[in-house]
Amino acid sequence: MSNPKHLNPLAVVFNVFKSFKNAFYFIVTFSVLAISDGFFKYVLLGILGLAVLFIILGIISWRRFTYEVTPDQIHIKHGIFIRKDRYISRNRIQSIDLTQGIIHRPFGLTKVEIETAGNDRDVDANLSAVRYNEGIRIQEMLKENRNLATEEKVAQEPEYPKRTVNNRDLLIAGATSGSIGVIIGLFGLVFSQIENLIPDHVYDVTTRWLLAQALESLVIFALMIAIILWGLGILGSLIKYGKFQIIRYEKELFITRGLLEKKQMTIPLKRIQAVGIEENFIRQPFGLATIYVVIAGGEIGTTADAHTLLFPVIRKRKVEEFLNDILPEYNQVPHHYKRVPVRALPYYLVRSLLIPIILLILAFIFTPTIWIYLTVLFLLFLTLGYARYRTAGYHVDDQFLTVRFRVFNKETILIPKKRIQAIEVIHHFLHRKQELASFKVSILSKQSGRQIWIKELEQQDNDYLIKWLER
Amino acid sequence: MRQPPKQRIAKDAIKAWRLTALILLIIPIALTGASWYLMYTFNFLVFWIPIVLSIITLLDLIITPFFIPKWRWRRWRYEVVDEEIYIQHGILIVTQTLIPMIRIQHVDTKQGPILSKYKLATLTITTAATTHEIPALPENEATELRDLISELARVEQDDV
Repeated sequence: MSNPKHLNPLAVVFNVFKSFKNAFYFIVTFSVLAISDGFFKYVLLGILGLAVLFIILGIISWRRFTYEVTPDQIHIKHGIFIRKDRYISRNRIQSIDLTQGIIHRPFGLTKVEIETAGNDRDVDANLSAVRYNEGIRIQEMLKENRNLATEEKVAQEPEYPKRTVNNRDLLIAGATSGSIGVIIGLFGLVFSQIENLIPDHVYDVTTRWLLAQALESLVIFALMIAIILWGLGILGSLIKYGKFQIIRYEKELFITRGLLEKKQMTIPLKRIQAVGIEENFIRQPFGLATIYVVIAGGEIGTTADAHTLLFPVIRKRKVEEFLNDILPEYNQVPHHYKRVPVRALPYYLVRSLLIPIILLILAFIFTPTIWIYLTVLFLLFLTLGYARYRTAGYHVDDQFLTVRFRVFNKETILIPKKRIQAIEVIHHFLHRKQELASFKVSILSKQSGRQIWIKELEQQDNDYLIKWLER
Repeated sequence: MRQPPKQRIAKDAIKAWRLTALILLIIPIALTGASWYLMYTFNFLVFWIPIVLSIITLLDLIITPFFIPKWRWRRWRYEVVDEEIYIQHGILIVTQTLIPMIRIQHVDTKQGPILSKYKLATLTITTAATTHEIPALPENEATELRDLISELARVEQDDV
């Protein structure tokens, strides 16, 4: 068990891939320069030589890479020219993720990513290819709550609370995902262009007829594109969240997902900074929501996902039930919120309308014909401003601050008091006159901090919240 | 409205900020000079651009060194108690910040050439998610405060 091991030889392939990826720009620029000078033969030869070099280096680095897992730590030795010895102690490990890519799966292999806190890539450990059983064994061995023997734990597994997503829900999730918003937007744009074209050609019947034909095909074309995009969105979420399963162990959450690339994620509970419930504007009317967690420490390379999904789609009224099962620490989703006062409404409206108003003014000056579309835009943003005002609110109890807010999607975020990094109260002279102030709470998220605002809250509510934090 | 924090920062902060502002004034003055020059020699600009720039520079010359530092100093307050740090700053838009002591990761003091001329130092307080500054404290006070905060913050932290 404790003698150093090599990765599966398939790791060589990954090494070579990686070398090529790193050298990609170099190769491309060099090739382009050389080919234009008519040295094609040499370029080919060069690439071939490079490939041989990479393969040799890949094999050597595979030979040199050994890892050794003991109950207390993982020890990794690697490096061709500069030898590196790395010890990561079990306590420092934040999470161990297993990912099976499409190359891994036929060979029964998996990638193991061991993460520590902080964004320093160099302190993380990456085993690019090991047998799946071995991956599981490493995960079990380095797990935080390894108080039970491994076999015992496997035997007990069915008793842990578990949730899965069925295909119907997954389809709904895909169909209502944010990408449909983009499509509607595109649609709107296309239609506005079409209508804009018509008046210019009204008097010429032939052109008009031709244009109508063109319009028809244009509309069909746009419709088709929209449907295809929508379908892709659904397919995307099926692939990404297919076979989704979340299990709650004593001290961690365990998520498996993915049809093509199977991903297993372990989220230690102590790493969770806050829990959020997001209802995007398409899902909200259907009473659907998404549950996510804000966690500290970086999942390497994935800067795009600001938060980690706990469940892709769920009925709003089932949220509490879900949290009760899976994350009872966060099951207090409040029903009543202290909202911002009516005198805050003008601020919300003005803020939302700033951009449309500027556009409208510009439109009146330069192209008065399109003002009608901008009026629609204006009304949309007016609604958004009002919706933001309606949504903004908070609730506190002993342990939690819950903030409800909307940027575009309605979000409810539950923040434990001990996870609050700092709070700020911000007001300008108009605010002071009206006894209003904006409230800002900072929590830790993957990359850096995340700030959550309640704009124009009652001054005395702010005081109350400060006192609450001090307590 | 909540009481503002009790402590003020060093009065010399005004002088330090004024000096900084005066040095930075080189930029708008140079720009204005350049615009006049371009207009006269090459007829390069329309006449009102240098005029507007001159007016802005003149206002800048009066306001940034002679009023803003004073207003800024008047608003700047801080307070360090066992459990938290409470900071207030901002001229038109006032920000009051509350940082729980146990969330503090580290405190630094730093000092540039201007602050050092007036024997002042800036205290930087860092949590895992945010960074806060108390600018222009007297050197020794900054050091003491830094040590005090790092002492108070030295409690068992549960995970970031």
